[in-house]
Amino acid sequence: MTLETSRHTLPVAPLGAASPSADHRAGLVVSGLTKSLGGRTIVDSFDLRLRPGELVTLLGPSGCGKTTTLRMIAGFLAPDSGTVTIDGRDVTNLGPEKRPSAMVFQNYALWPHLTVFKNVAFPLTVKRLPKAEVTTRVMNALETVGLTHHAQSRPAHISGGEQQRAALARAIVQEPGLLLLDEPLSNLDAQLRVRVREEIREIQQRLAITTVMVTHDQEEALAISDRVAVMNGGRVEQVDAPSAVYATPATSFVASFIGSMNVLTSAELDRVRHGRAEAAGPSETGGPFAAGEPLEAGEPLEAGEPFNAEGETWAVRPEHVVFRPAPGGPIEVRRILPHGHFTEVVLDAGGLELRAVVTGEAPREGDRGDVTLTRVQHYRDGLLTASGEAR
Amino acid sequence: MTALRSGAGARVVARRRVSSESRRRALGLTLALPPVLLLAVFVGIPVVLAIGFSLGHNGGLNSTIADIGTGTHSATSWWGTGQAYVDVFTDPRFLRDLGVTVFVTVVSTLLVIATSLAIALNLRLRGGRLATVFAGLAVVPLFIPVVIASWAILTFYSADGFVRTAFALVGLEGPTWGYTTIAVVIGSVWTSLPFATLMATSGLQSVPDAMIEAAKDAGASTRSIVTRILVPLAGIPLVIATTFTAIGILGQFTVPYFTGPNAPTVLGVDISKYFQAFNRPQESAVMAVVVFALASGIAFVYVRANFRSAKKEGRI
Repeated sequence: MTLETSRHTLPVAPLGAASPSADHRAGLVVSGLTKSLGGRTIVDSFDLRLRPGELVTLLGPSGCGKTTTLRMIAGFLAPDSGTVTIDGRDVTNLGPEKRPSAMVFQNYALWPHLTVFKNVAFPLTVKRLPKAEVTTRVMNALETVGLTHHAQSRPAHISGGEQQRAALARAIVQEPGLLLLDEPLSNLDAQLRVRVREEIREIQQRLAITTVMVTHDQEEALAISDRVAVMNGGRVEQVDAPSAVYATPATSFVASFIGSMNVLTSAELDRVRHGRAEAAGPSETGGPFAAGEPLEAGEPLEAGEPFNAEGETWAVRPEHVVFRPAPGGPIEVRRILPHGHFTEVVLDAGGLELRAVVTGEAPREGDRGDVTLTRVQHYRDGLLTASGEAR
Repeated sequence: MTALRSGAGARVVARRRVSSESRRRALGLTLALPPVLLLAVFVGIPVVLAIGFSLGHNGGLNSTIADIGTGTHSATSWWGTGQAYVDVFTDPRFLRDLGVTVFVTVVSTLLVIATSLAIALNLRLRGGRLATVFAGLAVVPLFIPVVIASWAILTFYSADGFVRTAFALVGLEGPTWGYTTIAVVIGSVWTSLPFATLMATSGLQSVPDAMIEAAKDAGASTRSIVTRILVPLAGIPLVIATTFTAIGILGQFTVPYFTGPNAPTVLGVDISKYFQAFNRPQESAVMAVVVFALASGIAFVYVRANFRSAKKEGRI
C-alpha cells in the first residue's frame, strides 16, 4: 500500500498572477464572485477559469449556489463583489442583453406563440440582421441540432427532447462566446437525458463553445464535462477532471457527494479491522499503510501513535471494498442489491454498515467473510490529507 | 349452464351500467337546468320579444307596450316591417348619438387599455413599491358605487368645481368639463379601469420570468420584450379586458346620464329617454338592437381570439 499525502489546496487555477481582464486566453474568468440574498451568503468568493472551448459543470446539492452563480455569469443577478470576464472583456456591469453569452434555461423558455424557426431567429431579428442572413443562420443552427423538419412547428407540438434542442439552437445561433446551460436535462426522462447530453457534448465540442453547465446530477456532470466544479454552501470544494473528482475527492463533502462512498470515522475503520484501537493515522511524512499491501482485516494500519479520532474521517469507495467469503468471518452480508452489470452488497461489520461492489458471483444474504480495503482516502477537518492505494 | 348464467349476468351488469349512466346524465341536466331556465326567462324571451317588437310584431306579450307607445309600426309581412329602423336611421339625432357612442367607446377603451397596460407592465418589468401602489390605486374605483363616482366627477369638473376653483386661485380660467362628452370619457375610464387593470396585471404576471429572461439574454430591448413577447403571451387576458371594457362602455347608462350633456348623448341614455320620456318604445327597441349588434361584433373578436389561442395550443 502506498500513500500520497497532500497539503490541501483547492485545485483552482490561481488568479492573482494575471489580471483577469488582461487574460485573453481564458474563455471565462470568474473572480471572487460573492452574493448574499435575504441576509444569507449564497455564493462566497467563487473563482473559476475556463479555457476557450472547455465545458465545466457546476455540480452540487440544491441550495449550494450553483444556479445563483450561473445567473451572475449570465448577468441576471448583480454580484455583491467580484468580476466576470468573457473572452478577455469585463462584463460584470453589463446586462444579459449586452453580454456575449447565451443561456439554455431549465424549462427551455421557448416562446409558445412563435414557431421553432421564429424562436431561434429571435436573437438575430432583434439585432435587425438582414433577412437572408437570419434564414441561413437559423437553418444552420436547426441543422446542427437536427431540427430542420420542425422549423414551422410550435413548441407545444414537439417533444421535450426536441424543445431542449430548439432552446440549444436559439443559444448557438447567436454564436456566443460563452454558453450557459441551467440544468438543461432535468425535465427529460432518464433514457432521453443520456442521449441528449451526448448530443449537447458533441455539438459543444464541434463548435468549440466555452460552456458552463449547472446540474445536480453527478452522473451527467461526470459524463460530459472537461472539468467539474463541486460546490457546497456557496463555495467551491473542488474543480478537477471528472476522473480526479471521483478518484481523489479533495474534501470529505466531495467524497460523500460524488458517487457512493463509505465514510468512516477512525474508530469505525478500526472496527472493520477487528477493533485494533491502537491503529495509527497517517503522518505528515509517510503513510499509515504498509507499502504495496492492501488493508487486510485485522491488520494494523501502522504501528505508531494512536489516532486522535476527532475530525478524522476515512472514505472508501464500494468498489474498493473487496468481500471474501470465509465461514465464521467477522463480517456478515446483510443485503444484496443487484444493479444489472454489478451487485452492491451491504455488509454488517459489527453493527457498522459497509457497502461493497461485487462484479462476479454475488454472495448470499447471511454469508460471512472478510474484507480488504484496496484504496482509502483520509480526511482531517474535511480536507484530504492522504490517499492509500493497493498495488 | 355456466355459460348461460354468465351471459345473463353480463346482460344484468350491462343493464345496470346503462341505467347508472342515464341517471348520471339526468343529474347533469338537472344541475344545468336552473341557469339555463333563468337565462331563457329573464334574458332570452325579453330579447326575442324586443327584436320582434322592433320589427313590428305588436301582438301577444308585446301588445300592451305597443298600445301604450306612440309612433309604433305594425308588421306588414311574415317577418315584420323595417319602418321603425327607417325612422331611427333617418333621424339625425340618432345618427349623431350613435357617433358619440362609438367615439366615447373607442376613446375610453383605448385610454383604459393604455393605462392598465402601463400599470401592469410597470409592475411586471420594474416592480417596486411605486408600481404596487399604482396597481392598488387603479382598483379603488371598483369599491366606489358608479353613482357616487359620477357625482364626484361632475362636481370636480363642473363650472363651480374643484378644477376651476384651483385654476381661479392662481388667476387662470380652468376648463368646464361637467356635462360634456369629456366628462363621460373620464367617468368611463374611471369605472372601467379596475377590471382592465386586474386582467392586464394577472395576464402579464402569468408570463414566466424565464420567458422574459430568455428574451433579455437574446439581446432584446425592453420595447421588443413588451411588443414581441409580453403582450402576445398575455394576449387573451388583454383581449378579454379590451372587449369587456368596450362592451361595458357601449351599453353604459349611469355615467353618461349623470355627467354628460342632454344632447348629444350616448345610446344607453337615448334608449331610456325614448322608452320613458318620449314614449316611443319601438324606436327604443330598435336602438337596443343596434347596441346589441355592435356588442356582438366586439364579442366576436373575443370568441375569435379564444378560438385561435386554443387552436395554437392544440386544445382544439
